[in-house]
Amino acid sequence: MTSVTALQEEYGPTIAALAGALAAGDEGLFLSELDGLVERRERGLFGELRKLTSDLQSALVRFSIDSRLVDLAEKEVPDARLRLDHVLKLTDEAAHRTMDLVEQSGPLAERTAKQAEEITTLWQRYRSRSIAVDEFRDMVRRMDVFLESAGKDMGTVRGNLAEVLLTQGYQDLSGQIIRGVMKLVGELETALVELVRLSKSGSKGNKGAAVSEVRGSGFGPAIPGLDRGPAVSDQDDVDALLSGLGM
Amino acid sequence: MKFLVVDDFSTMRRIIKNLLIDLGYANVTEADDGQTALPMLQGGNFDFLITDWNMPGMPGLDLLKAVRADARLSKMPVLMLTAEAKREQIIEAAQAGVNGYVIKPFTAVTLKEKIDKILEARANAA
Repeated sequence: MTSVTALQEEYGPTIAALAGALAAGDEGLFLSELDGLVERRERGLFGELRKLTSDLQSALVRFSIDSRLVDLAEKEVPDARLRLDHVLKLTDEAAHRTMDLVEQSGPLAERTAKQAEEITTLWQRYRSRSIAVDEFRDMVRRMDVFLESAGKDMGTVRGNLAEVLLTQGYQDLSGQIIRGVMKLVGELETALVELVRLSKSGSKGNKGAAVSEVRGSGFGPAIPGLDRGPAVSDQDDVDALLSGLGM
Repeated sequence: MKFLVVDDFSTMRRIIKNLLIDLGYANVTEADDGQTALPMLQGGNFDFLITDWNMPGMPGLDLLKAVRADARLSKMPVLMLTAEAKREQIIEAAQAGVNGYVIKPFTAVTLKEKIDKILEARANAA
């Protein structure tokens, strides 16, 4: 009954006016009332249509973001994890290789220094003409050993140093990989922000709420340009900080 | 012999520069991408170009093409030293006229061999 009442209220006066104009033979009034009636119906219809179109449009946008997200989540994020694993491997290998070479070189340099020192003592006695014949023979023998082993050892050390240098190439390789992952993270962020915007249309999201979140496993190395609160920049800073704390 | 080493990673430029010095090539200049390198090459009397591929600005392949397209530089020996290891890329570089291609990570011996080979071929052609 109420819908009929609403219809009566909405259209009653117009229909009465239409009937009146027709009975009175007022063509102009009849046509203008009729136009008004038609326009009122169309307005409602267009409103519905507009709403439908915008719903469809946002559904399509969401679908394209969803499928990009699915792609990112299913393929590229696991890829990125593998790539970062590789970075870990590269840095691990490079660090160990460098330390191996340093550990190999240290004793060689030490041996050379020690032999030189021993000969220096005898050599000084020889220069001051206070060396005994036996000692002189000993010095010459030591000299022979030293010249041969120093040449050989320093050759090895030099080769090791060249390899230490070359090993630092991991920085270029891992840097390239990290750049790629950074690009992916940026893309993921854009897709997620867009998704949040669509699902929350109207309400504002709380930006940066998770920035100060404390993680049990730590934050990893401080990254320049990425604000995670105060950070130290080198060992001197660490020492200064600790001594400021009374250590 | 004057070398230009082009790589966007300064660590890699230092590595290559040091290896070149070890090989007896003391005259080494650095650039961080093709865009910086090209004007240096055009005005700098360089004898040898070693370039990375993947760089922001102008990548190594574009630099190689620009070098080959420049009448004064077209004969310059170019060694590509890069982590780009796809078959089609190596072919593309070869088609663009690269003289040598070394994949990162590389060894000092490989670098020496490639440079020697390029210089030898150039000496034979002259």
